[in-house]
Order: sequence, then C-alpha cells, then structure tokens
Amino acid sequence: MADPAVSETVNRPLADPRKPHATFLLILPTLGILIAFLLFPYLNMIVMSFRTPSTSDVFAPGYTIGNYLEILFDEDFYYLEILLNTLLLGAMTTAICLLLGFPVAYHLARSRSRVTTLLYAFVLSPLLVGVVVRCYGWIIILANNEGLINATLRDLGLVETFLPLMYNMTGVTIGLVHIFLPFMILPLTGAIQSIDPALEEAARSLGASRLTSILRVVLPLSLPGIQAGTILVFVLTISSYVIPVLLGGFNVVIMPTLVVQQLLDAMLWPFGAALAFVLALAGTIVVWIYLLLTNRLMRGVAR
Amino acid sequence: MTGRSFDLGRGLFLALVTLVYAFLLTPLVIVVIASFNSGEYLTFPPEGFSLRWYEKFFNSQSFMNSLWFSLKLALICTVVSCLLGTMVALYTVRFATRWREQLRLFVLMPLLLPEILTAIALLFFYYNAEDVMAAVGFEGFRGLFRNSFIGLLIGHVLVTLPFVFLSISASLYNFDRSLEEAARSLGADRYTTFRRITLPIIKPGIISGALFCFIISFDLFNISLLLKGIGIATLPIQLFDYVRWDFDPTAAAVSTISIIVTVIALVVAQRLVGLRSLRF
Repeated sequence: MADPAVSETVNRPLADPRKPHATFLLILPTLGILIAFLLFPYLNMIVMSFRTPSTSDVFAPGYTIGNYLEILFDEDFYYLEILLNTLLLGAMTTAICLLLGFPVAYHLARSRSRVTTLLYAFVLSPLLVGVVVRCYGWIIILANNEGLINATLRDLGLVETFLPLMYNMTGVTIGLVHIFLPFMILPLTGAIQSIDPALEEAARSLGASRLTSILRVVLPLSLPGIQAGTILVFVLTISSYVIPVLLGGFNVVIMPTLVVQQLLDAMLWPFGAALAFVLALAGTIVVWIYLLLTNRLMRGVAR
Repeated sequence: MTGRSFDLGRGLFLALVTLVYAFLLTPLVIVVIASFNSGEYLTFPPEGFSLRWYEKFFNSQSFMNSLWFSLKLALICTVVSCLLGTMVALYTVRFATRWREQLRLFVLMPLLLPEILTAIALLFFYYNAEDVMAAVGFEGFRGLFRNSFIGLLIGHVLVTLPFVFLSISASLYNFDRSLEEAARSLGADRYTTFRRITLPIIKPGIISGALFCFIISFDLFNISLLLKGIGIATLPIQLFDYVRWDFDPTAAAVSTISIIVTVIALVVAQRLVGLRSLRF
C-alpha cells in the first residue's frame, strides 16, 4: 500500500475543493442498502426473538423472555443438548480438517514444481461448485442401499445388507470436512509460505528429523494460519444447513436445521429467532475463548 | 537418520496428500460419471453411456424454469454488485480518510456474518417492514420485498458485494495514480479520466469480481431457501428438493450442467483477463 502521506497529497488535486462531499455520493447507495437491509434486519431479529409466539400467526403482539427461558431451562435440556452436539460436531470437523489440511498446505507451500497451479485449482475447485451438487456427489457414493460403496461391497459379497454410511453423523461429518477443507488449506498455505525454509534447514542440519523439524519449527510458526483456518471452519460448520439435511436426513438434528424447521415448518418465528441467537452467542463465546487460548500459545512461540 | 526411513516418511506424506486431493475431487467426478451412466444407480463398473438423464432434465419444465431463473438472478445480481462494488471501492481507496477502515468492515460484514443468519434476518424484516409501512399508510410497500424477486435479489447482492469489493479494491491499490494526473493535466475532465484511464486499468479486477459474484450467486442456497417466492425456485433449491426424495441421476445431469456453467464462466474470464488476475 502507498505511503499515506504521499497518497494524501496525490488525492488533493482530484477532489473538488468547492464540493468536498461530492465523492460521498459514491457510497451513498451501498450505505443505504447495508443500513436498510443488513443493520435494520439484524436489529429486527433481536426484537423478534423477544416476541410472543402464536399458533395462528408467525408471532403475536407483546414481548416475552419466555423463548430464551424455554431453550435454557427445558426439562430434558433438549435444546441445550442439540447446541452441545452442534458445537461438538463443529470441533470435530475442524480437528479433522486441520489434520488433513496441514500436510496438503505444507506440500502446496513448499512445492516448486509446475503442477502447483493445477494443485491449487484442485483445492479451489470444490469452492466453485454449489454445496448441493457436492452433497449429491456424496449421496451417490454413500447412499445406504444403492450407493456406490454399498452396492459394490454387496456385489463382491463382502456385506449382506449395507454399511450405514449416510443418514447419520458419519455421513454429515464426511460432507462437512469435504466442503470446508479448502477454507482450512488456503490460510494455512499462506502462513506456511511466509515461513523461511532456512529455519527448517537449520533444524535439520542440527540433527532434527524432517518430522521433528515440521512439528517443532513449522507448526508453531504457522499458528496464525491455523488460528484463522480453524475459526473459519468452525463458524461455517456450526451454521451449515444443507449438508446436515441432505446427508443426515431426519436422524441428525443440529441447531441450523432446528432453526429452519422452526421458521418454515412450525412457523414459530420468535422461537426460531431465539434459537439462532443462542447459537450465535454460544459460537461467539467458543471462538472468543479459543482466541484467548491460542493467542497465549502464540505469545509463547514469539518468546 | 538412514536414507531408507527418510524415503518411507516422504512416501507416506505424499500418499496422504494424494489421498486428500482425491477426497476433494471424488464427488465432483462421480457426479459427472453418474450423469452419463445409463443405469438408475451408479455401480462399479458403470453400466454404459447414455444421455437419457439429460433428456429428462431438458424435458422437465420445473428444472428448466429454475435454470433460467437462476441465470437471470445471477446476471442481474452481478451487474448490481459490480456497479455498487466499483463505487464503494473507488471511495474507500481514493477518497475516504477518516472512516476508511470502519467503512471497509461494514461492506465486508455480510461475509463475516453466517449466511443463514442474514437470510433469517431478511425473512423477518421483509414481513415486519410491510406492517410498519402499512401502519403509516404506505400500502405500496406490500409485496414489494416479501417473497419477491427484488427481495431475493437484495439478499444475493448483500452476500456477493464483499467479493466484488475485495477484488476491485485490490486492483485500485496497485494503481499508478500519475496516469490519471497526466490525463487531468492534459485537459480531460474527471468523467473522461475515469472512463478512458481508470476503468480500463481496473477492468481485470472488475471482471474477476463479476465472475466470483456470478458463481456465488448461481450457487447461493440459504438466502434463496428463506426468501424465494412461492412457486419460484433457483436451481440449487430445485435440486435440493429433488435429491431429498429422489436419487435418480437426473440430479446428476443437473449438477453436471451447473458445473459446466461455472466452467464456462471461468473460461470467459480466462479469455478476457487471464486467470492469474483472480484474487481472493
């Protein structure tokens, strides 16, 4: 980026001194849209979560905190259990993405061959194809009776009925890892690329094995990339709707599917809004604690 | 460390990396294969080549309607987002002084908030805004946003704008300002300078932004699910409804066509600006 002092003197002759705010017109439409259709809707959603539920309409007049009380103090802790499952699913998906993504990112970052561009395209390709299409690909592979894996295993006589690969947590986790893996690999690759390879070579020349030099040198120095990637994947996972519905069916209930069901099927808008806020708040708290912990870890590395 | 154990470690490492690449690509490849497979279900080995699922797709009124609807929506969304994105990027990079970072953050906000939350917020807002406007005696508002094309379009523009903004900002930062000053000092007015100098130079940024915008809008799901009108569906929604109950490979044909739309968009961009100018 240009030196601010320089760009300021360069900017001056272009701006018309008589109409200092004429350029403001450039952002006026966008500001209008963002305030009207982003800020207001979010404020409105907070209000909605305190509205009284109704059986005849999407909400009734009057305000209550009953929606939140129901979520937090339900007799069987039904909603809190689903919240916990959602967060655990997020943590598990994130951990698997990190385990699978780190070697790929290391390979991408350190590879100097001509195929690197092609490999980048491989990593990016899932991002450019819709999530429904990618889930459908997994349905063809994992489906219980006629899926590629189960049909092939049955033809070979290896299984009698089928392996339960879909409509359970296994299927959902496979789908989530597949769809969010690129979001882990890309920031990690950037972080590893910025680490001087000479540091690794130094470790190796002092007798460390390749594995040790990766674990003791590259891994700690790539913590900023790990932090970015893990948070991205975690947040995307706990707010994903399509994958759990298509690969989990009715057997997997997590917060986003529950929220959409409350809104579109049960037509209980205030309760759906409250559920969405509880999820957003829980997610924020988890990310915040994680940031505190990893920041401390990173300061330790810096020292 | 012996040479042999070193090679073993490296071999394991490469095997793992290759497996992950295969994992990433497999579902896409499988979808394309399944769409050309003649059988109801994909088995290994495939049963034979057939175009019957494409035939079924092109004869399906609901799929064709949603394909055209999605293309139209994505196209209009791209035009709107690029216009707004160019203006905002120009302002934040060139003119903003005090609130530059806050403004950037505000424009990027839809990217930082979960898409499903934004969709829910808009669903409520369209409904409530109607009542509020009707209460103050403005009935023309009714039906303008709720379950309407405009309401859906606004949702798509919100989500795609950050990508366009990022792409165009990046091309403005790498911009030699003296070119504009030269034009100005030679007597060109600000509009001519923008049209003849600035626009051609930031064109790659706009095109790559437009490309992303189109692909993202074409594939957008959550916003479309909650804001779509009754009886209209985008292609991802139609596909979603289909594969929930039916596994027949018509869905594979639809998916392959949706992959082809993306590839065409990429090829067009490659022809116009070269893919190397794509920025993330």
